[in-house]
Amino acid sequence: MTDSRAGYLLMAPVALFLLIGFVTPILIVAWYSLMEPRTFELTSVLTLANYRTAFTDGYGPPFFWSIGGAVVTTIACLLIAWPTAKMLHKLAGRGAVVITLLIAGPIFVSESVRLFGMSLFLMPGGGILAGSLNAVFGVSIGTVLNTKMGVFLGLVYVHFPFVLFPTLLGVALIPQDRVDAARDLGANAWQVLREIELPLALPGLVIGALLTFVLCIGANAEAAILGGQTVTVVTRAIEQRFSYAQDWPMGAALTMLVVAVTAVVVFPALARIDLNRLIRK
Amino acid sequence: MNSEIALSLQGLSRTFGDLTALDNVSLDIVEGEFFTIVGPSGSGKTTLLRLLAGLDVPSAGSLLLRGKDITTMPANLRPTAMVFQSLALFDHRSVGENVEFAMKMRGIDPAQRRKEALRLLDLVQLSGEYYARRVTQCSGGERQRVALARVLASNPEILFFDEPLSALDFRLRKALEVELRSLQRRTGRTFVYITHSLEEAMIMSDRIGIMKDGKLVQIGTPTQIYAEPKNLFVARFMGEVNILKVRGGQIADLALSVGGEDGYLVVRPEMLNPVETAGFETKITELFHLGSRVQLHLDTAAGPMISEQPATRTFRVGETLNFGFDPAHLHRVTT
Repeated sequence: MTDSRAGYLLMAPVALFLLIGFVTPILIVAWYSLMEPRTFELTSVLTLANYRTAFTDGYGPPFFWSIGGAVVTTIACLLIAWPTAKMLHKLAGRGAVVITLLIAGPIFVSESVRLFGMSLFLMPGGGILAGSLNAVFGVSIGTVLNTKMGVFLGLVYVHFPFVLFPTLLGVALIPQDRVDAARDLGANAWQVLREIELPLALPGLVIGALLTFVLCIGANAEAAILGGQTVTVVTRAIEQRFSYAQDWPMGAALTMLVVAVTAVVVFPALARIDLNRLIRK
Repeated sequence: MNSEIALSLQGLSRTFGDLTALDNVSLDIVEGEFFTIVGPSGSGKTTLLRLLAGLDVPSAGSLLLRGKDITTMPANLRPTAMVFQSLALFDHRSVGENVEFAMKMRGIDPAQRRKEALRLLDLVQLSGEYYARRVTQCSGGERQRVALARVLASNPEILFFDEPLSALDFRLRKALEVELRSLQRRTGRTFVYITHSLEEAMIMSDRIGIMKDGKLVQIGTPTQIYAEPKNLFVARFMGEVNILKVRGGQIADLALSVGGEDGYLVVRPEMLNPVETAGFETKITELFHLGSRVQLHLDTAAGPMISEQPATRTFRVGETLNFGFDPAHLHRVTT
């Protein structure tokens, strides 16, 4: 009893913070989304008009790019993070520290600075990659800058650490003796991966994937800096509603749809894993 | 038991950097025998077993399974299976899925797997109810049985055991030792068992190999090793023992003449008995009841000694008695 009361007390600061900083704004946005289009009042008639517009008026592509981009980026990051995490786990000593710092280091640099750096790297003609290749090997190459590929590379580059570190935690959850036992019982490398390693590392993988997915759905800097005008992501569309178009209820409705998509992905995924295993390890 | 050789270890060595964990171990394990490797911790037992199971590759030497070289064959291709010290059960799977694992890896269909899993659970005396239970809901002894059923399901030609009973309480361990032995007799499989417990080795094994510092010191039946240890290490390792130093045919401190070369006499506690005449004077300093026997700690001119006597005779602490042994039955070692 004392324990649970202490638990509630410890929870109070963060609960208060979330109530003021998260729940209240979301409720206001939700309420706004039900207001008449292009109004700034919270007292007009309740209507679903904004949601109707969202589904009929060309907002499909932004949603498609954001969700599609998030899914593809998450998968790509997982595919790169798994072998990297396995390698880091195996190294375990000083080598791992160096590599970890190299991967984590960029997080301390502002995202847009990094993306502009990437833009300089990818620039055609005199860009770092194309220019060097031309100067050293005399090879001329094109560029992925201002293409969907550029946006995708940017998304993977920025979000990779967010998948890697939870994946590393996940890999650390795999006891070597389980892998040995599976091998001993006749499992080949692929079967060990599917039957033992992935299920045991699942909590880490799911957390990493969710982080990336959620961040990618909300990402717009990659599309803005590396994508030129090729892609309009949903956050860009929302921002335009709130600022340029001065249609707050519409922006709020789009926001609520993004929240809904996120919730539909996040909650079932979280329900599948045992977070305690990761926390109490 | 026929005398065909199941597994032949030829000069196996394993080094980790400067450390020699296993030093030129040669041994033939006979088809259908229960072979136990005993040694103190750090003697290289687990290293050896991992080489046999294919979880590690030797630095030198070779390993033959029925004459076929399997030195570098990976574990998943070897017809052997191992019960790990930690058991290494798959906690994220049910008991049934654990037992069926090897069959699933071979692509055997689910209905047949289930039937076989239930048969094996029955063999290790777990009822069908356990099939759907989670491994984490099982007690220590039950987990032990699940691990056993799981290796049997891979239908291995040779089973390896890495001290799987060491974590269990005494009574359960005793019960499982007997069961394991009877299981080995019923299945006729070759069992290779490692333990640091001499008692465990004595109860279960056909033959025992004693390991020390990565080397096999002595191989023999439990009675052979108990009665005729090759050196002081083996003598001391195989239970309570009194070591009496012989120089110039004499046990100096006791003024007893035994003849023969210089060395040490190995006197087991049950060989040291009260005598009416001759022998040497002792004083009982401690007395422990071991059920059917009593263990006496004796103070003698040659230092403390231990004797074990039937509990039918009464001894008192502080009592002074003459003890002696029959020189004809004593074993002598030189190192």
